[in-house]
Amino acid sequence: MNLLVVNLLLALAWMAVNASFNLMGFIAGFILGHLILWLARPLFPGERYFRRTWGGCAYMLWLVKEIFVSAWAVAKSVIGVGDAVKPAVIAIPLDAKTDFEITLLACSITLTPGTLSMDVSPDRRTLYIHAMFAADPDTVRAETKAGMERRILEMLR
Amino acid sequence: MADLIQALIGILAVGGAVFCLIAAIGVVRLPDALTRMHASSKAGTLGCGLILLSVALFFPGIDVVARAAAAILFLLLTTPVSAHMIGRAIYATGAPLWKGTGVDELKGTQDDPARRLGQ
Amino acid sequence: MTVFLETCLAVSVGLVAIALVLTAIRVLRGPTEGDRIVAIDLFGVLAVAMIAIFAIWLGEQVFLDAAIALALVAFFGTIAYARFVEHKAALKAKEPSDG
Repeated sequence: MNLLVVNLLLALAWMAVNASFNLMGFIAGFILGHLILWLARPLFPGERYFRRTWGGCAYMLWLVKEIFVSAWAVAKSVIGVGDAVKPAVIAIPLDAKTDFEITLLACSITLTPGTLSMDVSPDRRTLYIHAMFAADPDTVRAETKAGMERRILEMLR
Repeated sequence: MADLIQALIGILAVGGAVFCLIAAIGVVRLPDALTRMHASSKAGTLGCGLILLSVALFFPGIDVVARAAAAILFLLLTTPVSAHMIGRAIYATGAPLWKGTGVDELKGTQDDPARRLGQ
Repeated sequence: MTVFLETCLAVSVGLVAIALVLTAIRVLRGPTEGDRIVAIDLFGVLAVAMIAIFAIWLGEQVFLDAAIALALVAFFGTIAYARFVEHKAALKAKEPSDG
């Protein structure tokens, strides 16, 4: 993560040169600095900084989209025009290993389509979620693993 | 242009309020505590987030935008944490789930909090 | 402030007020302790939304600080209540084996 420090320094330099010590100046400096580092990326072989930041941004956008979709689905079902409520408690075997991966996955699950993370087993191999539209528990399990967990692991590893 | 932004602010505020109301209706209408939590954690977060977004658009200064962004981020960070805590507490109290609940793959396993806490 | 925005804000305040009343009903009715925690948590979020709307309506950006502070306090209140309920359940589960 040394490139992050360099990137922040470049942003600081941009702010100093422009004498614009505010949020817009920082954002502009950070984006410009990132672009410069990206152009110079042959200098840093094996650096995962770019993939991580871009992956992080893409993940955030995807998550916001999912929050809208899920809030819409839950809202429709509350008013009585959406899918019938068919809750279930489902165990999901975890491929995520570190604390950060599991935390991010659990938080994302809570914020997205009709699912809510409830508990992680003490051996950290299983995540228990409560799903609201789980007529078929295996589909929910497969979708969570293939959709969310795959995205998180691809971004972080 | 200014009028357009004002209209956008109004629409965002009403949209957020509608989602807040839907969350409340969900909390009243849905059958058990865990399903009610779905309504409050999703619709509630989105509603409050939209309203905070309209605040960020309304005031001109960068400091207000930063504070509103911080509030939205804080909401997105705390909602899952409190939902997790509440979910565990609900399950630990051993209150029966709604009769329409399908499978319960946690019940009776060694990870069942009702059992784990009893030890 | 245009008339349209003024109307929108009035409608929003009305909707959130109805939501607050509905949530209060759930807090009072229960039936289980879990339902009450969920409702109180939502009550906090709704109060933050209400304060934010008033910040626009009255043009006071200081209200936004109040909203952030309330969001913080409501979060800790929810966590404390949830932990309390969980511990109570644990104590209750332990009792028969002790006696």
